Amino acid sequence: MYLDQRVLGIRLHSRDLRSLADEDLMELVRDGEAAAFDVIFDRHAGRAFALAYRMCGRRATAEDVVQEAFLSLWRSGGRYDPRRGSVRAWVLSVVRNRAIDSFRREGTKESRDVHDELAVERAPAEALTHVEVERREEGREVRDALSRLPVEQRQVIELAYFGGFTHTQIAEMLELPPGTVKGRMRLGLTKLRLALGEPSEAVL
Amino acid sequence: MSETGECRGDAAAYVLGALEPEEAERFRAHLASCVICRDEVAAFQPAVEALPMAAPAYPVSRALRRRVLGAVRADRRSAVGANTAPRPARSRFARARRQPALALGALAFAALVAVAALALSSAGSGGVRVVRATVTSPTGSAQLRLSGGHAELIVRDLPAPGAGRIYEVWLRRGPGAPSPTSALFGVTSSGAGDVGLPGNLHGVSEVLVTPEPLGGSSAPSSPAVIVARLT
Repeated sequence: MYLDQRVLGIRLHSRDLRSLADEDLMELVRDGEAAAFDVIFDRHAGRAFALAYRMCGRRATAEDVVQEAFLSLWRSGGRYDPRRGSVRAWVLSVVRNRAIDSFRREGTKESRDVHDELAVERAPAEALTHVEVERREEGREVRDALSRLPVEQRQVIELAYFGGFTHTQIAEMLELPPGTVKGRMRLGLTKLRLALGEPSEAVL
Repeated sequence: MSETGECRGDAAAYVLGALEPEEAERFRAHLASCVICRDEVAAFQPAVEALPMAAPAYPVSRALRRRVLGAVRADRRSAVGANTAPRPARSRFARARRQPALALGALAFAALVAVAALALSSAGSGGVRVVRATVTSPTGSAQLRLSGGHAELIVRDLPAPGAGRIYEVWLRRGPGAPSPTSALFGVTSSGAGDVGLPGNLHGVSEVLVTPEPLGGSSAPSSPAVIVARLT
């Protein structure tokens, strides 16, 4: 669709852009189309900020991480490869890497300062857009699945993913043999995968 | 479970990004020949990609949206003003990736002499200047993008800095030792990394990168793996 319009030299209005799939928008971003990037930002910044806030614990740091991540995505838009995953997964992996870089720059993780009253989770449903309601439901499903894991499995998964720690660092923190940490990660992810309804014909 | 003799059940830790850099590199090499571990990675990937959804959602502030989208437009104007659209800059970078890598054994010597081989392209004042840096590690390429007083270092295919280490950016002004910056960065599993340089580069003759202990150092403890000469 957009290719035809580009050939005709017609600039897409933002309403048209909002009807495009992420992968099509990334084609336009690769060509330097800032309006297409606005749509990508609006679709994914909420989740990106949530991840950064969960990892960094401070709003200002999380905003810096999100800003750095999206600018980096804008400048490297042409390197997005749809064969390697969704745009959302790509955005979130860049945010996570930036947050981990931020921990390392600071030398230590800042104290958590999360204001729950701002959370979409606590807002009345009528105050939310349908997109926010969908995100809240999706978030609840993943949180429920995590909460049903044995605490020792949930702990190593959260320390690795949200804390950015390696299995060796986690083993030191929890005074466990490294093999035990890897084993708990494996058991935890296996249960999480099944709880989230992933296909069960694979390996495990 | 991974059952072959070489498999060590690392797939979960790998997908969580929790292997040490050297372990991750070994595991990636192992994946090329082990269908069991490839299947495990593919099976765990969706669960790990769902984890960010567990983070409580917060509304994005209008100020953040303005900042990011304003910076995107400023970046775009700079690129257009310099007649250097994002795509040509990447093409130049792609060419740099194909250049032969220098041997690891020559690393220290190469860091001293390689600056002479730097290619510098200038797009004039107010535009984007792309400085192709010399990389002395066995693989990798790097470029410095300078735009409106802001500089960003972009690396690709760079080896991980090693266990318990991180790359640190240094600025050399004049003949003395380089000064440390707060720019510390790691690379992704594919060796990619982008880092913004703090402050302006007024009077800076070289931008260097060395692997340092986590948290950074006040003086370089290793030979530079990246050297970008600005003059």
